[in-house]
Amino acid sequence: MLGSLLTALTAAVERSQSAGRTTSERIRRFETEQLTLHVLAATVVFLIVLPVLIAALVSTKRAGIVTSIGDLVPGGHALSNYRRALIGLEFWRFMLNSFVMSVAVVVGKLIVSLLAALVIVYYRFPYKNAVFLFILFTLLLPVPVRFVPLYRLTTELGMNNTFFAITVPYLASATTVFILRQHFLSIPASLVETAKVDGVGPLRFLWSVLIPMSRAVLVGVSVIMFVYTWNQYLWPLVIINAESLQVAQVGLNLLRGQASTGEVAWSMVMTGSILTLLPPLALLVLFRRQLLETFTIQQK
Amino acid sequence: MTDVTLQDVRKEFDGVVAVKNIDLQIPDGAFVTVVGPSGCGKSTTLRLIAGLEQATEGTIQMGDQEVTGVEPKDRDVAMVFQNYALYPHMTVRRNITFGMKSAGDFSDEEIDRQVEEATAVLDIDDLLDRKPGELSGGERQRVALGRALVRDPEVFLMDEPLSNLDAKLRIKMRAELAKLHSEFETTTIYVTHDQTEAMTLGDRVVVMNDGRIQQVDSPQRLYDYPETRFVAEFIGDPAMNMLSVDISRDGTEYEAVGPSFRIPLPEADGLETAAGAKALLGVRPESLSVADSADRSSFPAEVTVTEPLGDSLLLECRTGDQEFKLHAEPRTAVEPGDRVPLTVETERLHLFDPQTGEAIYHAAAAQSPEVTSTVDSTI
Repeated sequence: MLGSLLTALTAAVERSQSAGRTTSERIRRFETEQLTLHVLAATVVFLIVLPVLIAALVSTKRAGIVTSIGDLVPGGHALSNYRRALIGLEFWRFMLNSFVMSVAVVVGKLIVSLLAALVIVYYRFPYKNAVFLFILFTLLLPVPVRFVPLYRLTTELGMNNTFFAITVPYLASATTVFILRQHFLSIPASLVETAKVDGVGPLRFLWSVLIPMSRAVLVGVSVIMFVYTWNQYLWPLVIINAESLQVAQVGLNLLRGQASTGEVAWSMVMTGSILTLLPPLALLVLFRRQLLETFTIQQK
Repeated sequence: MTDVTLQDVRKEFDGVVAVKNIDLQIPDGAFVTVVGPSGCGKSTTLRLIAGLEQATEGTIQMGDQEVTGVEPKDRDVAMVFQNYALYPHMTVRRNITFGMKSAGDFSDEEIDRQVEEATAVLDIDDLLDRKPGELSGGERQRVALGRALVRDPEVFLMDEPLSNLDAKLRIKMRAELAKLHSEFETTTIYVTHDQTEAMTLGDRVVVMNDGRIQQVDSPQRLYDYPETRFVAEFIGDPAMNMLSVDISRDGTEYEAVGPSFRIPLPEADGLETAAGAKALLGVRPESLSVADSADRSSFPAEVTVTEPLGDSLLLECRTGDQEFKLHAEPRTAVEPGDRVPLTVETERLHLFDPQTGEAIYHAAAAQSPEVTSTVDSTI
């Protein structure tokens, strides 16, 4: 359903770009095309937002059992639900853990990836391309494949159940190295050569030239990395036992158990879900321009 | 300031030879231009001197120090690039001082004084707080020059610095570069594909082709005494005409014999060896002219194209199956298809070996006892 709608949307965009013959015909066509385009876009957006909307509605109700359309009227328990989740059930602690974890991973990943990309782009060493290909190759190993060895490694190092267990394994990122490499390659070689002739060292070049010139890309990948880390569920669930160290995605599951009569407390779950949704959403809204720039999907 | 010496320098890129064992000597304080078609190895040569490329063979010397394997930063050179290579996120002032601060051998007061001096000379002192994106091409190039100037290097290296500017600005900057050099007298090596730039700027011009140095000479001697057919055709616009001729000898008289002409050759070195063989007769377009009337010293040719340039009329002509160009007087009444009598200024003729392309004979050598240097590239 969504797929066919998206196809129709792209087709409409393409049609609206191909020009008509006369000016008036073009204007008329432009208007109808624009109308179809907007109707289609609105439908797609509505379908995507619908579950989130329902979650938001449910989070305002007492029990949160939806059996008919009538149950989708906003309830009056919003404030008490959110207060109960955040303070009563200490959901703020999970969110804080998630936040600290995400920030640490973003910062660590940026440092590691920047240095890796610097070396891959600007240094001459044997088998350079092979090294880069090897880094890309790690993308072919899905997370579940790495799970067991990573678990053994972490526990053998005694890092399980610590903050390091949910940050260190995330620090290396082939995707970020790849994106930064492509960006560095687009910076004219003469800038590097000027720096070389002028005696600007590699770290100073990285700090004073590359990073400022890559600001948008860095912000873009940071947002992606933040959202990715924020959404981690399985690994923290496996490696962290202490509830005080647990992250929001796992914490949601703990909210489920807060049912008074043996039923799932859906309104609590939805309250938690909306809360978990907010930080990534805020980042995406704030940095949407840089994101589009990084992945250059905006229409020029 | 220092002199630069390249000895038997060779550079290969994955089996492709970019520079084929060249020798070059650049004296202290000289302005040397390196010119040639794209892919001739001129930029590679400059990058070898800068240290941005490592020579496969041979040595490079600056002053009495060998710098062949030395890092660019330790060679005390400054380089100006075709695309200016300004850091887009830095102000003009920071662009200029960034390299100075890295080198670390300037104090803060010195940096301020140098920047003030250089920007005043280049007339960019009111742009110091702007970013490169807000500057015009000419201003950006001045900033790039300023950045090189403040470093006060031993050698300036310039890689087609004016190629991105429009024609008018290029001529203006050309004059300013010449002025700057006479002021600072820093050894300058300037790479360009534009022969006019090479000729007007250089005390000495190095002509390169196919990884080899063809000739090193002063601009005028390069024009008057090209040592190879390549130099003859590369320097001068339109290029020197090449007509294949037989050299006939009658006692001490020599003549170049073509399909419809016999041109007497003034006595000079090389004629004896050329006699009786085929050769290429080199005639510059301005050495040919349309005669008032046909006589014994003229030969007929058919005009195929006329191009009025204002100050002269460029004619494309044909005699037999050979085509050539000439500068006629402006407003000469000729049409394509006309047959006109032409005369040649015989003191400006050259002969080249049809196989090797090397010069065998320069008619003007009769007047100039000083014989041009050979291709050992010593200036």
